[in-house]
Amino acid sequence: MEKVLTRNIHKENSQSIDVYLAGGGYEGLRKAVTSMSPGDVVEAVKKSGLRGRGGAGFPTGLKWSFMPKEKTKPHYLLCNADESEPGTFKDRLLMEQDPHMMIEGCMIGAYAMQADAVFVYIRGEFVHGTKVLDKAVAEAYEKSFAGKNICGSDWSCELVVHRGAGAYICGEETALMTSLEGERGYPRVKPPFPAQAGVWGMPTTINNVETLACVPDIIVRGADWFAGIGTDERNTGPKLYCLSGHVQRPGVYEAPMGLPLKELIYDLGGGMLHADRPLKACIPGGSSVPVLRAEECDVNLDFDSLAALKTGLGSAGIMVMDSSTCMVKALLRISHFYAHESCGQCTPCREGCGWMERILQRIEDGKGLQQDIDLLKNIADNIEGRTICALGDAAAWPVQSFVTKFRDEFQAHVDEQRCTVQGAAHA
Amino acid sequence: MPRITIDGVEMEVPAGTTVLQAALSRGREVPHYCYHPGLSIAGNCRMCLVEVEKAPKLMIACQTQVADGMVVHTQNEKVKQAQAAVMEFLLINHPLDCPICDQAGECRLQEYAVEHGTGVSRHDVGKVIQSKAIDIGKHIMLDQERCIQCSRCIRFCNEVTGTGELDFFQRGDRTKIGLYPGKRLDNPYSGNTVDICPVGALTLKEFRFATRVWYLKNTPTVCAGCSRGCNVMVAVGKKQELMTSPGQFDDGIKRIVPRVNEQVNGHWICDEGRLSYIGLEAAGRLPHAQDADDHELDWDEAVRRAGKGIREAASAGRLGVIATPRATNETLHALKSLIDGVGGAATGVQSIHRGEDDNLLIRADKGANSAGAAAILGATGADDVLRSAGEGALDTLVVLGDLLDPADTIDLGDVATRVKQLIYIGPFADAASKAAHLRLPVSAWAEEDGTMVNVDGRVQLVRRCHRPRGEGRPGWRVMLDLFPGAGVEAPDWSSWEDVYTALSGGTDTFRGTTAESIGLLGLSTAEPAPAGA
Repeated sequence: MEKVLTRNIHKENSQSIDVYLAGGGYEGLRKAVTSMSPGDVVEAVKKSGLRGRGGAGFPTGLKWSFMPKEKTKPHYLLCNADESEPGTFKDRLLMEQDPHMMIEGCMIGAYAMQADAVFVYIRGEFVHGTKVLDKAVAEAYEKSFAGKNICGSDWSCELVVHRGAGAYICGEETALMTSLEGERGYPRVKPPFPAQAGVWGMPTTINNVETLACVPDIIVRGADWFAGIGTDERNTGPKLYCLSGHVQRPGVYEAPMGLPLKELIYDLGGGMLHADRPLKACIPGGSSVPVLRAEECDVNLDFDSLAALKTGLGSAGIMVMDSSTCMVKALLRISHFYAHESCGQCTPCREGCGWMERILQRIEDGKGLQQDIDLLKNIADNIEGRTICALGDAAAWPVQSFVTKFRDEFQAHVDEQRCTVQGAAHA
Repeated sequence: MPRITIDGVEMEVPAGTTVLQAALSRGREVPHYCYHPGLSIAGNCRMCLVEVEKAPKLMIACQTQVADGMVVHTQNEKVKQAQAAVMEFLLINHPLDCPICDQAGECRLQEYAVEHGTGVSRHDVGKVIQSKAIDIGKHIMLDQERCIQCSRCIRFCNEVTGTGELDFFQRGDRTKIGLYPGKRLDNPYSGNTVDICPVGALTLKEFRFATRVWYLKNTPTVCAGCSRGCNVMVAVGKKQELMTSPGQFDDGIKRIVPRVNEQVNGHWICDEGRLSYIGLEAAGRLPHAQDADDHELDWDEAVRRAGKGIREAASAGRLGVIATPRATNETLHALKSLIDGVGGAATGVQSIHRGEDDNLLIRADKGANSAGAAAILGATGADDVLRSAGEGALDTLVVLGDLLDPADTIDLGDVATRVKQLIYIGPFADAASKAAHLRLPVSAWAEEDGTMVNVDGRVQLVRRCHRPRGEGRPGWRVMLDLFPGAGVEAPDWSSWEDVYTALSGGTDTFRGTTAESIGLLGLSTAEPAPAGA
């Protein structure tokens, strides 16, 4: 497939505005601002079938249409560049290698929603990305792609880069808002939804970096072109897949939405890391989505195909595990992450994540009790759907899926009071 | 108005009402920790999860607004299971140190554990250890382990006082409440954080380990600390003769907490009012009627002498009277009747002013009944009376001493030596009392029933919370006893209500009101009385 999102990343000085402009950059913004109404832009994005690349897969055009049509207050667009879902590293590539594509997408989105400012909330650890982005923003201002009278029109919009301080929860959209406001990064109870009252109480829309990077080409090449890529009309466009784990060539791969998982692992990824260790499991959408067993991996990587398997495309962080993987240890590592990153605001997630981690640690340590496996599942069930934000679900789903799909392995750990996978492998 | 159904009960509630408020308004308890009617909605405890038909997930009742046709279940199996799960989560890292916790007996965690918990814990992997007994303010101690992170105290300091001392620190199950660097929880309303803490995480130093809450008897009354007249609940120890621990079971005041009255103080009181009982309990009291040489006087003899002095001075036009603005309307009306009976006196109401009004509750006018005193005795200060006395123009000066704090009784300076007879009527052995030629004890605040008028012209009940110390009698009754000696026919009053009836018949501010109509939340007088004296 022709590369769309990654077409510039290997060019020399790919970060500079001159290289971006030479490749036809900012034509989308110019076209939107000079020849389209904001409503036209929203319609085009709706028609393209673009769905959010941050994790939830919500239709982007529909989200944009929730913003008030009558403008009585400042509108804001937030670009979620807090990429922190374990196994996910696509936004980082875009920001570090081709920041102007994302910036152009931001400004087109801002125009569509008549935003007064775009805030790019970038993960604090992305020091290099911040430097690249800061320079790119300055270039965009210089060329009037941001700031006053964008592309010579009477529309103006500020573009601000804000560094986070490293909390996973600040990638959650409302926590990102409280953090941006200078408060402790806590998710907000909804309603009100961001389009009604978002950052500083103003109508706000928040989109992922990759989502926004898709927008310029939708405007330049048309919604139909975009919608023509992918599995079907609900799963469209080019997509970045983050491949990691026990494969020969981990990395970010661009392919159409709906790429078969096996093709990613065995063709693009070069196959399993060790020839004698077959595929055992795969997490298809970042650490929070339910795991797939090897026999479930004949699936296309798109929103609906994965939803049919009761998992999700999430942030397209595909983590491949081979036969040497101890699923107890893998789940312990994931649960440790969520226990560490739970913001602590609401009860089930705050208390439950630590509890699950401590039980998993006990099983891993060879001290598991018979009731622990059912208890783990039950704790996860008591967290799921009961919390303010989706972190509770994100912590519950791996536990539910690991202990259900790999129950034998957990049972063996408890029965034999030791690791039965790596213990055997290393014996 | 939207019609909704909660547990099969149809109700009509105003738009904008939350499911929790709707349920509570009909006496249906939905368990909750973080929701507080005086604070913003946090939605963090997840205890109030209820099932709303057609909603994909359980909803928190505290934040879900009613919509027409909404059908809510607060007690079905799904909800009960969720409540039990939240209770289990709240308890896994809780120290369960109820036997040494002051909150025991009035702890939401205890109550809901009984009502909504499973009774057993499945948690056996070690609790998160946090710090205990942290001194975070002049009056406040923090136990981070008991805390359930409901954020009520944080919201109070952010939203009510605007002082922002507290916040959460750390994340996940290591989350703890704490002070910002360089701050202390020393705002003038800090004690309210203890009241709103649903568990024993925040405790009041003055109440810590003082008693058990089930040994307390609560009486609804009104604070006498300033002219706001905050509604409070005064808790006194139940006298338990058979219990031997000294101090723990006497009938002294153990604490004062706010009583909700949206028209006066909302949900809050200031720390000064909350702790006003400490000075009162510690003050030296006048044990019985005395003469200038500290000799005990028979009561009848004492009031006869006092009445005589009042009569003689009045007939010469040389009687002066100074009253505390913390006396009840009944005492002041009885006093006024006596003065009128003897032909008048130079009368003044003491002014007690300290500091400034703040934008919440605290008033600079510390006279809890300044408005009532002004309405009954006239809005004059005590300066003219003091000056007259100082100039030797008065033979007898009657001083009605303060009922809350001996330091607030008027400073007479050397005026006492310029009058032939200084009659002190008050509860304390204070400076004015010592200078007096005749001392008549009365009951202090919280020892007698009556009424006061607050700064907004609201008549409110002050109640007897425990028996008076010494021989203190209610002020109006002391006045009544003075009538015969003063040669005035005594009115036929046998209760404070009788005095109030007489008062409301003769004083415009109170006209049309009755003692029975005042009620626990007070009664706004038709035309607000002029504030202050």
